[in-house]
Amino acid sequence: MARVHKGLAIISLCALGLTACAKTDEPGAAQSPGQQQGAVRIGISLPLTGDFSEPGKGIQEGYQVWADRVNAKGGLLGRKVELLFRDDASDPNRVSSDYESLITQDKVDLVFGPFSSRLVIPAAKVAESYNMVFVEPAGAAAEVFEQGFTRLFYAAPAIADDHYDYLADHLVKLPADQRPKTAAYASLDDPFAQGTAYGLRDKLAAAGVETVVDEVYPPETTDFAPIAAKIAAANPDIVVGGTQFEDAVGLVRALQELKVQPKLAAFSTGPTLPEFPEAVRGAAEHIVSPVGWSATADLPGNQEMVARYKQMFGGEPNEDAANGYTVGQIIETAVAAVQCADPSRACQDKLTQHIRQATFQTVVGPLSFDDQGRPEQAHMIQQYVDGKIEIVLPEQARTAELVYPKQAW
Amino acid sequence: MRIASRGLPLLLAALAIAYPWLVPNYYLVYAGALTVMYAAMATSWNLLGGFTGYVSLGHSAFFGLGAYGTGLLVTRLGVPWVVALVVSAVLVTAFAAGVGVAAVRVRGASFVIVSIALVSMMNLVVQGWRSLTGGSTGLQVPSPFPGLHRGQTHMVFFYAFLALLALALLVWWYVSRSRFGAGLRAIREDEDKAESLGVPTGAYKVTAFCLSALFVALAGGLYALWFGSLDPIFVFSILIGSYMVLMSLLGGVRHLFGPLLGALIVAPAGEYFLIALGETQIHLTATGLVLVLVVLFMPDGILARLTRRRAGPSIPDQSADQRLQEVTP
Amino acid sequence: MSLILQGLALGVLTGGLYALLASGLSLYFGVMRVVMVAHPAFLFLAAYLTYTVHTAFGVDPFLALPVTVPVFFVLGVAVQRLLVARLAPDNLAMMSVLLTFGLALTIEGLLGTFYTGSYRSISMEYATRSLTVGGVSLPYDRIIAFAVAALTLGVLFAVLVKSRFGRALRATIQHPEAARLVGIPTERVAGYGFGVGLATAAVGGTVLALITPFFPASHWVWIGKLMAIIVVGGLGSVVGAALAAVLLGVVEGVVLVTVDATWATMMFYVFVFLTLLARPQGFFGGRLAHRF
Repeated sequence: MARVHKGLAIISLCALGLTACAKTDEPGAAQSPGQQQGAVRIGISLPLTGDFSEPGKGIQEGYQVWADRVNAKGGLLGRKVELLFRDDASDPNRVSSDYESLITQDKVDLVFGPFSSRLVIPAAKVAESYNMVFVEPAGAAAEVFEQGFTRLFYAAPAIADDHYDYLADHLVKLPADQRPKTAAYASLDDPFAQGTAYGLRDKLAAAGVETVVDEVYPPETTDFAPIAAKIAAANPDIVVGGTQFEDAVGLVRALQELKVQPKLAAFSTGPTLPEFPEAVRGAAEHIVSPVGWSATADLPGNQEMVARYKQMFGGEPNEDAANGYTVGQIIETAVAAVQCADPSRACQDKLTQHIRQATFQTVVGPLSFDDQGRPEQAHMIQQYVDGKIEIVLPEQARTAELVYPKQAW
Repeated sequence: MRIASRGLPLLLAALAIAYPWLVPNYYLVYAGALTVMYAAMATSWNLLGGFTGYVSLGHSAFFGLGAYGTGLLVTRLGVPWVVALVVSAVLVTAFAAGVGVAAVRVRGASFVIVSIALVSMMNLVVQGWRSLTGGSTGLQVPSPFPGLHRGQTHMVFFYAFLALLALALLVWWYVSRSRFGAGLRAIREDEDKAESLGVPTGAYKVTAFCLSALFVALAGGLYALWFGSLDPIFVFSILIGSYMVLMSLLGGVRHLFGPLLGALIVAPAGEYFLIALGETQIHLTATGLVLVLVVLFMPDGILARLTRRRAGPSIPDQSADQRLQEVTP
Repeated sequence: MSLILQGLALGVLTGGLYALLASGLSLYFGVMRVVMVAHPAFLFLAAYLTYTVHTAFGVDPFLALPVTVPVFFVLGVAVQRLLVARLAPDNLAMMSVLLTFGLALTIEGLLGTFYTGSYRSISMEYATRSLTVGGVSLPYDRIIAFAVAALTLGVLFAVLVKSRFGRALRATIQHPEAARLVGIPTERVAGYGFGVGLATAAVGGTVLALITPFFPASHWVWIGKLMAIIVVGGLGSVVGAALAAVLLGVVEGVVLVTVDATWATMMFYVFVFLTLLARPQGFFGGRLAHRF
């Protein structure tokens, strides 16, 4: 017995003595210069499985297209770009542990953001505490920017609450006899989806459009007919859905079945996905949604990205892919400007400072950020016209006239 | 023999205490803290599951309530974190007593279903009660140690979870030697017989349920303080509850160290599957198949299977009658 | 008032669908005292197979049934004989939950690997129209779902009541030992019981595919709801589950139109706890159901 104890004590003391000071990865610790010659390694955690896996996939493809283009041009500062993906399985524990391991174990040079407002906050906490600059493609909810993060930037034109700004302005400016008088809102209980719908609601309500239905449904909702029945009973002029894909389809179908015929129907993310028109059959016509990116827009690098995407993955890129690509463009420009891409605090500080004050030319248009990392631009409004997606607002970007009132579905 | 069985836990304890100093980076400290947290929760789960045979897939309800309770006390009322942790754990235990009275009226399968219903309900309540909990936007809890950097916080909570684990193990061990424990085991063997022989089965079951909820709630509270952001759909998830069950089962529900061993295997294995097979969803299949294989071929757990000897204190194999003799006066 | 009528009507239609989806769960529990957590995962497996048949051959989704129903029957027998029957009887409830939980994960992972995480949906011509009766709109897809559910359950009850196999199955459910004594091969009957249960999942999956978009993780949502239905109905009682399904469907529909979706979903669990407090064996279940 005693022998064992003594042995144990010796072993543990030795172990302690040897390794107590072995942890060299204090946050922001400088790397050995030799390591800088290798590839620029970028750590990314994405929900490749689980509830958010679909948009997670799009963002991953966007990142890959960007890395492919940069590498074809000779890399960042002459170093190849290497992307390290981790699957967070749509779980915030995982997303934290992914970034924790990418930063402290893999010692990546840069990190890119994950998907969904629900995962961005825990991820940004990790990046923030290791002083890494954190440009993210998908945390649009207002709350993301209220956590006091100093190194977080959202790489899209506007935060959730401002997605419908152009539409709200347009509706409010209509002549009094055409202006909608009543509106129904149904939103998924999710910070992003709710943000979009409520942003529009608050602006329209201030302009005197009466809110006749205001529903929130939990993510597990599968049956939308009763919600549609409520809307049908109120017979509103416009219907706004703070939706993602599954519920957008469910709502559109249920509204059709219950013969709700609004003058305008707006849904947040569902209609921007390519599966949408088929899922709702002919009903997609004249549905509007906010969109941060357009495949046809004449913006620097946009056509190149679309072409490269088609070549790599076949098919059309979606908005998520474009957002991922935008993150890459911002980092690429910032790295070129400050001439460093390593995890040292000095370099990350320089990158952060540069991103905060500069304006970036990206595939979603010129982007600049406020002190909390909010983008200061606006989303466009798209509409299905004759079966095709057209940009209808704002005027300078539009490819077709907004059809209002919409045809019956 | 005896030296091995006494020395091994001590060696492991020493290793566990030294662990944060042995590993080369903070990620491993973080992963270690998470593993110890699961071990503590699985051990607490086993206070109910191991003794009474009542399988709860819904213990994440207590985890989530403990986390939200602590978080809300700290953020909304400005209570010091230690007080918040204790108060919230006590409140959750009281709540568990209420639920327990209803839940333990049914056995076996019905109880499992009730436990699933409990988590789903709590998820809906916390998600729906936006004005109090923040709903789907989540609750951000300030760190109790703002002066420490992230890695140091991981170290602190590693030891906090370790202490909780030690406490849970101690309680399990104590119960296993007590009359109360013998009564619980009798319930598992034959509840009707135990009842007819005068074991107060209802009170015993509710007590075990509460005790088990108490430690899970403490783990939840520590998690809230450590992790700092809570989101109802992730905290009240059936997956967290099923992890506790899987770990206990894999290690062996009748053994003191069974759930701990299970946690030490499942947590790193999950990590490994995700990294090795993370590109597609096939890692879910891998996890699922492991579960199926364990259930089919190792239903008594590794400790029972691999060591025919008794590894640490455990519940001996006895017939129901022998067991009942222990508890009846 | 018309809104409540509308909610009521939709609730009845949805309840019919719930009855079909939950019937398999009652069967498994009846024959083996097994809680089959993987049942919803099998539903979505069937939904995906229907989707494949529909898109590959361009045929009506219901034409997938002649393929999926026999396949699922065989699958069910296999699950019972190869997996569930091997579990130790003394802790069957616990082990079966874990076993089928593992199966659910396995299926979800395979679906995700083959079909990716994207949403799939089948939308037919009739999916967006509805029948209006006295100010109440009845969507055709719900009517079809209800009709298919009613038909399937009708066939199921007829089999259980009239056929020799049905009698053997009911005997096995009611008293396995006695059934064995009078010469019923209870093992084999239990296997067929599982087969029939999964066959209902094949039909249920096709109907689900018609009315809602789905992705590999969709099954989680259904576990709680369907489990709640069979507890309220009384574990192991197929008729009880059907009645409870309609009851909960109606309650859900009415609460949805009068209050909101959170409370509507909550009703399922509220009813579970009410059932426990008032009648632990379930409102329509047998005397001993709560013992298993």
